[in-house]
Amino acid sequence: MITQPAVRGADADLVRASWTEPEAFAELFDRYSAMLYRYVSRRLGPEPAEDLVGETFLVAFSRRKSYDLAYQDARPWLFGILTKLVSRHHRSEAARYRALLRAPVDADVESPADRVAAGVSAQALRAELAGALATLSAKDRDVLLLIAWGDLTYEETAQALGIPVGTVRSRLNRGRRKVRAALGDMEEE
Amino acid sequence: MDDLKLLRDLGAELEHQPPPTLVRQRERILRARPRRRWSPWWAAGLVAVATSVAVAVPTVLVGDRSVSTPPAPAAPVDVSGARNVLVIGSDTRKGDGNAKYGPHSQDHGQRSDTIMIINLPADRGKATAVGVPRDSMVKIPRCGSDPARTSMINSAYNSGGAACLRATLEKLTGLRLHHTVEVDFTGFKGMVDALGGVTVEVPRPVDDRASKLRLPAGRHTLDGERALGYVRLRHYGDGSDTARMKRQAVVVKAMLTKARRIVGQPAQLRAFLAEVRRWVRTDLSLEEMYELSRQLGGTTMSYVSVPWEPAPETGNRLRWKQPAADRLFDSLK
Repeated sequence: MITQPAVRGADADLVRASWTEPEAFAELFDRYSAMLYRYVSRRLGPEPAEDLVGETFLVAFSRRKSYDLAYQDARPWLFGILTKLVSRHHRSEAARYRALLRAPVDADVESPADRVAAGVSAQALRAELAGALATLSAKDRDVLLLIAWGDLTYEETAQALGIPVGTVRSRLNRGRRKVRAALGDMEEE
Repeated sequence: MDDLKLLRDLGAELEHQPPPTLVRQRERILRARPRRRWSPWWAAGLVAVATSVAVAVPTVLVGDRSVSTPPAPAAPVDVSGARNVLVIGSDTRKGDGNAKYGPHSQDHGQRSDTIMIINLPADRGKATAVGVPRDSMVKIPRCGSDPARTSMINSAYNSGGAACLRATLEKLTGLRLHHTVEVDFTGFKGMVDALGGVTVEVPRPVDDRASKLRLPAGRHTLDGERALGYVRLRHYGDGSDTARMKRQAVVVKAMLTKARRIVGQPAQLRAFLAEVRRWVRTDLSLEEMYELSRQLGGTTMSYVSVPWEPAPETGNRLRWKQPAADRLFDSLK
């Protein structure tokens, strides 16, 4: 995923500018919409992704005046909003992972290049991984996926979810333990 | 094997690239912007509530009971013939408990947030509610000390009040607007309270920081304050606008249900309407409202919007699409 911070001007400056010139907010969209789209397409698939990205920016726009300008990078803020919107779809998310348990191995792969990038091991273990994701609690899954798929740090995840870093660690550990347990089960069989 | 690495690989495998159509969502922010500014969450709910005050509540209240003889009015009133009612949802936040819903907006005076023309034909068979987009660029005639100008239609209300908006719309539509009804934040709460609260089924627990509303799932009777909080919720359900509008519709329906239950008698209808009148600003007298509501027993209601198109010279504004708009208003004459 492309998650590089923007080159010119900190996000916070853009948000600040949008207080008086709302058009400036569109620049944030240009910076991060693709990144958010990729993230949500992983969790919910491409169908709802477009709309959710749009919603995320609409919500962010409506709250731009309460943005804490001390945070230069707006990604955690945007991911936080998106996570809340994703949580409204938790049933279809779980169903998506469960479908992977049944799907033939190649079903969701877009191109041979992706397949190579994805590597054989994840493919081979996909059913187990997906099964574990489907059984995680929503809170543990949010933390695990913000870190694994959103490329946020512990601190950024804490900021996105509005929880202490210690809580991020404990949720992450619990999530990873469950994933490892699922993989372990498979190896024993 | 590293579980995080495996997860990342799985993610890469599930990932989709953004389609070119994603840019539409960017336009959505820009397009939504001026409307958002003028259109807080409650616009849709207000249309429904204001309409229900003007038409639906009396309709439901009287309904089949219009056969019963009302107490003689103090003075005879004539509300027969075709009538057009201008309904204005305003977000004035001055005074009486409105300020806390929008401390930032206090300096900006009143804004018309929802503008609707409700057309009641002479036979009272089919009423039509015509929504007027607030950011329509229109010719505004001279009102008081304000000169004639071309501007957004809600500026007519912002600076010249209901009278100016009424004059503007009469000129634009060629319709005579017989009455105006204005409702605001307090009005919504007041009407819910006048009904003794509304009972709604809350599908999922609510814990909303913005409106300080906490509700476990299940059936609740909400007072005005909490009903307002409930229809305002943004991040609830799937978080979409349509979900919020559905919630607003549920609340309005609950208001109607409650109204039907508590008002079985003409005398009580009169008392309820008197209560409603406290919460709306209207030139309709109590007797006129009563007569009008009695006549609307069998009326059905349809909603349309004035046909519009983007106004190219002003970017985010709209203008009325002609000749479709004129045709619509002609059909109501």
